[in-house]
Amino acid sequence: MNAFDNFLQGTVTLFSDPINILIFLGGVIGGMLFGAIPGVSMLTLAAILLPFTAHLSAEQGIMLFSVMYCTGVYGGAITAILFNIPGAPENAPTAFDGYPMTKNGQAGKAVGAAVMCSALGGVVSTIIMMAATAPIADWAISAFGPPEIFALVFFGLAVAASVGAKTFWKGWLSILIGLMIAVVGLDPVGGIERYDFDMPYLLAGIHFIPTILGFFAVSEIFVQAEKKVRGSYEAPKLSVDFPSLSELIAHKFAVIRSIVIGFFCGILPGIGATLAAFMGYNEAVRWSKNKEEFGKGKLEGVISSETANNAATGAAMIPLLALGLPGGALTAMMVGVFQMHDMQPGPLVFLTSADLVWVVFAAMFFANCSILLIGFLETKTIINLLRIPFQFLAPLILLLATVGAYAVRGLTIDIIVMFLAGVVGFFLRRSGYSIAGIVLGLILGKIGEQTFAQAMQMLHFEFSGFFDRPIALGLLIAGVLTLGGSIYGAFFKKSAAPPTTGSDTPPPASG
Amino acid sequence: MMGKLRPGHLVEAAFWLGLCIFLYAYSFEFDRDIEIYKYGASGWPRAIILLIAIAAIGQLIHHYVKGDESSSQMISAAVDDGSEEAAHEAHHETVKWYLSTFALLSIPFIYMRVPEWFAGTSEPGDPGLHTWRLIIAAILVAIVVYFIRHHRVRVMLMLPLFFASLLEDFGFYAIAPFFIIGVMYLFGERRAKPMALIMALIFGFMLMMFVNILYVGLPVGNIEPFYSFGSWVVTVLQ
Repeated sequence: MNAFDNFLQGTVTLFSDPINILIFLGGVIGGMLFGAIPGVSMLTLAAILLPFTAHLSAEQGIMLFSVMYCTGVYGGAITAILFNIPGAPENAPTAFDGYPMTKNGQAGKAVGAAVMCSALGGVVSTIIMMAATAPIADWAISAFGPPEIFALVFFGLAVAASVGAKTFWKGWLSILIGLMIAVVGLDPVGGIERYDFDMPYLLAGIHFIPTILGFFAVSEIFVQAEKKVRGSYEAPKLSVDFPSLSELIAHKFAVIRSIVIGFFCGILPGIGATLAAFMGYNEAVRWSKNKEEFGKGKLEGVISSETANNAATGAAMIPLLALGLPGGALTAMMVGVFQMHDMQPGPLVFLTSADLVWVVFAAMFFANCSILLIGFLETKTIINLLRIPFQFLAPLILLLATVGAYAVRGLTIDIIVMFLAGVVGFFLRRSGYSIAGIVLGLILGKIGEQTFAQAMQMLHFEFSGFFDRPIALGLLIAGVLTLGGSIYGAFFKKSAAPPTTGSDTPPPASG
Repeated sequence: MMGKLRPGHLVEAAFWLGLCIFLYAYSFEFDRDIEIYKYGASGWPRAIILLIAIAAIGQLIHHYVKGDESSSQMISAAVDDGSEEAAHEAHHETVKWYLSTFALLSIPFIYMRVPEWFAGTSEPGDPGLHTWRLIIAAILVAIVVYFIRHHRVRVMLMLPLFFASLLEDFGFYAIAPFFIIGVMYLFGERRAKPMALIMALIFGFMLMMFVNILYVGLPVGNIEPFYSFGSWVVTVLQ
């Protein structure tokens, strides 16, 4: 069957089962809501839902997460435009011009542009993903052995460490702590207990679900407690006005450029959608003849940022599904969903669970389309829901996390581990470390050590064996160059002044 | 002499290097050969420890040269969630604040360990241990209530851990309502009626969703009368 037939088959499977439809709609609305509510994010929702995906099929679990991913990235744009509070880091550049547009009485047009461009960027990216993932997976089956996978893990971690935290060093320390947490438990070759401190609980390793819940959901509550966020906003009067066709055509180059930038940033591990949004915005400024208009309410700023961040979502699924390697926090959680169903993402998924892949692809396509519909019909409802004070939301999130951590194995120590991870996450976040980096290290650590051991056994413990494998060598060189560039940047490049995101004055556009 | 270093930077570096020393020393506990793998069980973790030490020293040099400067404007903007700024504005960066926070954070661990010392047993069903747990829990709850008004962030960090440590003995059903009210209070809510209403809504939702529909077996507790209460709730709902 060709890709189009597979897509149709996936669509039929998705919409022929009422439970699937319910999960799809739940993911669309939940992602959008949690993306929009300041103080929580789609990652918070994903962390809370992760343990409960054990009750769903693998297909439904992955589909739910991928749908939340698409709509969550859009959801954060609403508060970025209306209140200058980006719902997620990937929406921060949207606020640079979106909020001034609101102050200029053009909130409807800014939200309309965000709706249209998010949908457009997401749909195009999903179509490319559908066309590209299967061939890449086919190629990976024959081309990727343990040395290549280890090299890819190394490259992925190098990129993630270099761009994920306040400084390069904090990025690396975040990743390394994640790798160290992954070491706890039995070693993958000899089954020897490591760092178990004579506690039977630690023999199986630190479970990733309480850890993820703690780092994302619980630490977020603690951060909000420190900010004393009350969560009640004076919502401005809002209508959604789609930009006219002529306005969109006038920005066609910005849209195409942002799709390309977003897609390539999305493929790279690390903070794909965030990097995509910033690069999309920066390039828009760089190519513009009227640079001075950016930051004062220019429609192109919103278009560039929102197109790029949604274009990254489809791309981020390619390394996950084709190679089995997550590139960010949400895709790392998807690996968790796979593992809970005794599956491993990677090229073999296309052979063993082709149905799953195409249902997920179809769901992502329609989730991006639904941004148009729901963005048009439901934005006002979302604004009203944003009035829920955070003091009422916080206990609900903490209790949902508690039940989620406990439900996995029925151990109260999992709840304690989760809240401890929350406290650790809180202290690390306020010091500029990257929580996503820790989780990426935790998830990739086990894969990395296992493939390193297999690779070294294959290569008879000769590191020079990597020189005979061009893909592995290329990836290792790319990783070393990334590292070298970051170290050079950390010591020798003069950095810019800190930005003022979130304040009333948008930061000056660089470029 | 100190460049742009602050005392906090030195504490941060000391923490990472101390952690490396501890982890390296502990790695001798499992430093065993594996026949088919020449790096053994400790090779991989020791490589990570070495990298952590290098990164910690690199960070110290970065702080010495550039202080708290971020690597680039784009990265800083991307990862900034306002938590650093919030900590700074709330003056939650002093040594005194950290010490008092860690002192409060010890409360859940006191509950987990101290009753066993007094009772001289760790047998979960022992009536003497139950009595000591009740006494210690009451004292610790009184301490938390004393601090809750003026040390909101510190108590917020500790309260969920304390709640988790009490779950095994007192059960979810008996203490979750108080936890909900505690969190709302810590987030600044002071009106009794909305607090009672929201508590009932959240607790009711949790019970209906997880106990009644999904049959999740939440902890019912070990100590009477909390155990009987928890079991009664489960019986009624299921």
